[in-house]
Amino acid sequence: MSNFTIPVGPLHVALEEPMYFRIDVHGETIANVDIHAGHVHRGIEYLITKRNIFQNVVLTERICSLCSNSHPQAYAMAIEQIAGIKIPPRAEYLRAIADEVKRVASHLFNVAILAHLVGFESLFMHVMEVRERMQDVKESVFGNRMDIGANTIGGVRYDVNVESISYLEEQLDQIEASLIEITDIYQTSGSILGRTRGVGVLSHADALDCGVVGPVARASGISYDVRTKAPYTAYDRLDVKVHTLPDGDVWSRAMIRLAEARTAIDLLRQCIRDLPEGPTIEDHVRPSIPAGEAIAKCEAPRGELIYYVRTGTTPKPERVKWRVPSFMNWDALRIMMKDAKISDVAIIVNSIDPCISCTER
Amino acid sequence: MIKPNDIESRLASTALSGIQFSMATDSKGVTTAWCTLANSADLLPAATWLKAIDARLSTITVFQPKATLAPAVAEGEEPAAPPTFLGGVEKDGKSYEIDYHFDLDGDTLTLVAHVATGGAIDSLTELYRAADWPEREIMEIYALEVRGHPDPRRLFLDPSIDGAVLERLIPLSTLTNSATTKGLWEKILAQTGILS
Repeated sequence: MSNFTIPVGPLHVALEEPMYFRIDVHGETIANVDIHAGHVHRGIEYLITKRNIFQNVVLTERICSLCSNSHPQAYAMAIEQIAGIKIPPRAEYLRAIADEVKRVASHLFNVAILAHLVGFESLFMHVMEVRERMQDVKESVFGNRMDIGANTIGGVRYDVNVESISYLEEQLDQIEASLIEITDIYQTSGSILGRTRGVGVLSHADALDCGVVGPVARASGISYDVRTKAPYTAYDRLDVKVHTLPDGDVWSRAMIRLAEARTAIDLLRQCIRDLPEGPTIEDHVRPSIPAGEAIAKCEAPRGELIYYVRTGTTPKPERVKWRVPSFMNWDALRIMMKDAKISDVAIIVNSIDPCISCTER
Repeated sequence: MIKPNDIESRLASTALSGIQFSMATDSKGVTTAWCTLANSADLLPAATWLKAIDARLSTITVFQPKATLAPAVAEGEEPAAPPTFLGGVEKDGKSYEIDYHFDLDGDTLTLVAHVATGGAIDSLTELYRAADWPEREIMEIYALEVRGHPDPRRLFLDPSIDGAVLERLIPLSTLTNSATTKGLWEKILAQTGILS
């Protein structure tokens, strides 16, 4: 058999964003993978130090689209720590609601793309249709389909009322019923199982070694979820079920996402049930932010998102550094793809639910 | 609480040049600890011990803290020594602060090392596979050398771009040069002489 080097990307039909994989193959089997990044590097870490602390709430929301809510949330949490701001209880629950709404939409998008890559187009369209309900929720409750602008320093910028809650509950019932059906298809369909079971395996030991996070880690048996390990907003009062699977293959990662989407619906119902009355923001006057430093973490749809913020005596932050979950998960692709078939590259890449624009910033 | 309970004394016994330690727990029970090393050479022993207690390297932050001005000196008086970080690295606005953020089962411990401009820091890649990308990124955004990195290639920036981008002033107009495809297209056309 011959050895070849095959380029996949940076522009490729199976990649949503640009990334270049240099794949050495022996026949049809992958021998080695080299990853070349940087095609959507925008210098946001530089830009963030040129804008003031409040403008950066808007900027951080634009680092990524699928986890756009997690960025301003973690950033606001870090600033609130520095300034000693305690957000009102209602805002804590509203932050959790925004988080979980985004999680359902993000996870469904990823499992839909899996169906597309497998060639199961009717399933792809069905899952996207279900996800569309959550997009409608975002548009109706927050006023936008992707960047929902829910967070601000000291609280949230939106509120729910009897009408929007009853609309949300109605949509959750519909989405849940569809999710049960979809999960069953992913669990039993030969088309899905044949392409995903035992493909792109990341063992528990390798997962620990790479430091992967989120559904990728949980599908390899690592029971780590920021919402339970380092609770924030209302998660210390919510019953968060953490799902793990032992096999670490593409299928396990998809099943974890489907299970987490259902848990997110459960969390949304818990939030609606326990939602306290009261203000949604600590103070309507912009707080003054002293010099200091803080770390904040939250569980973005793809896993642990960590923010480090250092403020000085000027209105602009001295340094803001964030590490998105995908940043940790890329390296694991080299292990997942080793000895895989070249035809499985797209499915394996999609299984880490990669987010390139927030990896490269 | 961060486990083990005696983490401060355990770190002090691995970082022999001295440490400064602080720890705070928030209302939800999440602890954040900071451990500043007096000598950046103690980074490897401290990280080795953290690895042994299953700490996960979350990420690494590097920046150049703003200079602290020395107090004014009255006539005839000896000027005081310039302000320094723990261990003697000068707060001159050019030295580097390197923060290694470790996750300890949800809690965060940050090891802080200071390196003077032109200096180097040891690579953690032998201990942590996950240090590879963050250290490659450090080397392209700052003129800080990471000693012993197995693959010191550019990570995101093209090799044709000058390094140490966060140490230079880049005008916003340059930074946003390709912000619109139309702007980029017109620039390319102008460069090729078609639009002249």
